[in-house]
Amino acid sequence: MKRHLQALVVLLLLGSVKLPLEESVTQHLRAAKLLSKPIDLGIRESVGQMSFAAALGGLRSLIASITYLRAYRAWENIEWAKVDSLFQITTRLQPRYQNYWDEASWHMAYNAASSYLYNEDIEPMVRGKFYADYIQRGIDILNEGLRFLPDDARLWNALAEIYDRRVHDPKKAAECYLEVHRISHNDRYARFAGYQYAQTSDPELWQKAYTLLKTAYYKKQRQPSVIEQIKNLEDKLKLPLMQRIPEKRQALEQPQGMIRPTQ
Amino acid sequence: MKYSSFSPARIWTLASATVTQLVRMKILAFLLVFCVIVVGAGFAFPVMNPEQQLKLLKDVSFGALQIFSIVIAIVATSLLLPRDLEDRTLYTILSKPVPRFEYLLGKLLGVLVLIGVGLILMDIAFSAVLWLRQTMVLAQSIGALKQEGVATPEAVAQLNEFVGKQGLTWNVHFGVLAIFLKASVIAALALMISCFSTSTLFTVVITFCVTIIGHGQSLIREYFLQGHFSNVIEKLLSALLAIVTPDLGVFDVVDNVINGELVSSASIGLMLGTTALYLVGYSVVSHLLFVEKEL
Repeated sequence: MKRHLQALVVLLLLGSVKLPLEESVTQHLRAAKLLSKPIDLGIRESVGQMSFAAALGGLRSLIASITYLRAYRAWENIEWAKVDSLFQITTRLQPRYQNYWDEASWHMAYNAASSYLYNEDIEPMVRGKFYADYIQRGIDILNEGLRFLPDDARLWNALAEIYDRRVHDPKKAAECYLEVHRISHNDRYARFAGYQYAQTSDPELWQKAYTLLKTAYYKKQRQPSVIEQIKNLEDKLKLPLMQRIPEKRQALEQPQGMIRPTQ
Repeated sequence: MKYSSFSPARIWTLASATVTQLVRMKILAFLLVFCVIVVGAGFAFPVMNPEQQLKLLKDVSFGALQIFSIVIAIVATSLLLPRDLEDRTLYTILSKPVPRFEYLLGKLLGVLVLIGVGLILMDIAFSAVLWLRQTMVLAQSIGALKQEGVATPEAVAQLNEFVGKQGLTWNVHFGVLAIFLKASVIAALALMISCFSTSTLFTVVITFCVTIIGHGQSLIREYFLQGHFSNVIEKLLSALLAIVTPDLGVFDVVDNVINGELVSSASIGLMLGTTALYLVGYSVVSHLLFVEKEL
């Protein structure tokens, strides 16, 4: 009996010593992005008891993959509400995997939105509403993903593309492209931001676009689209001739129909 | 010949006898099942994007590795003492000048060797399939880019990066190490429980329950440490659970390893340290319980 008591004392002592240690190890591993935050208890009803226990038991990634496959099947069957709810579970199980956020938003903002827009069984007014709602849902998904992965270039790029191609909001698209540029240091995205700012109706943003595109121009990124956009912006901003890029000056100085010999 | 009160050679002899005993129980048949699962997962769902195909292969393989290691840790360890009692091998061993703690350490080491060797073999099979699949997926994707006439060096490099992140890296092996460490803690826990339990079934069920609670222990601990409970009984129960159960969630780095997060040496050191603490602690408790056990 004495030994049993000793065993109990050792177990309790071990427990008291390990608690702060476990806490600091957990914090360290979370800071190193190796451990995710504890699973949301609210997810239990969505995934079922068994899956919840498995997810709690270290099989979170596997359960996320299974719900992803179910979402894939729902997509094949064109069940948009199901796709959305299954992706919601998938992203909640693995919020640090950007592919899930990216794909979930793509399904909503592109596939679901277009599917409703071209569905002739639905009244045109309702179609338009669904179209806008699902695009907004795609944006919301990406914004939620960016709360977990604020420095993920892929998610910022996906958001920029939705603002550009679906919402037609060039200002927001440009801001998102600038975020991609900040994270990836790829000058291509600064150029994209420039194109977007150039599409706005705000002269202040044209100036921003001009600065971005001129920077690209000086970095020897002289694609025809860059030169064309700079020329347009110089016209819109009414810049004096001497401040314009050589290509524009040449075009203005050269009488129409004449070909100036190259230097 | 001089008698030593602690002999690593004796412990090793007991450990190797334990491995032989467990191998005879056909426990390693799971390896074959694992290989079938990995190959199946590796070549299923070809319609998904390359990154997702590799992720799914890793998810399924790591899932199977975890299940294998946890089940072996619980069942094999729970069977050891009752089987030795039933076969009367325990009496033969303890009638010789073998201290009881050496017997326990030998048994635990035997289970750990078996799980370790099993995991290494499965890791080799898994790595081979992952590498093969990675090479195939990359070749297919580059081929598709070439067919569309968009196989620019930048596009190929990006594809390489995406696929490489989900492919075979050292990180995958660190993930397997984390699984082994978790299984070690569970085996030590099962041995401790089997020292006071009256039946194998009791040990299996209780260890399984503690393992499940252990995976959610961080939730209980955080609730307790942050004072979320107002009721005294809730506080006491949460404190007791947090103290008695191990935090197995500490070893669940696999989820993020699958996503390509890098495992630093500091993180490995912390996991090793935590495992050592549990192993020593549970072994001491096991010894205190076993030394008084009437056989």
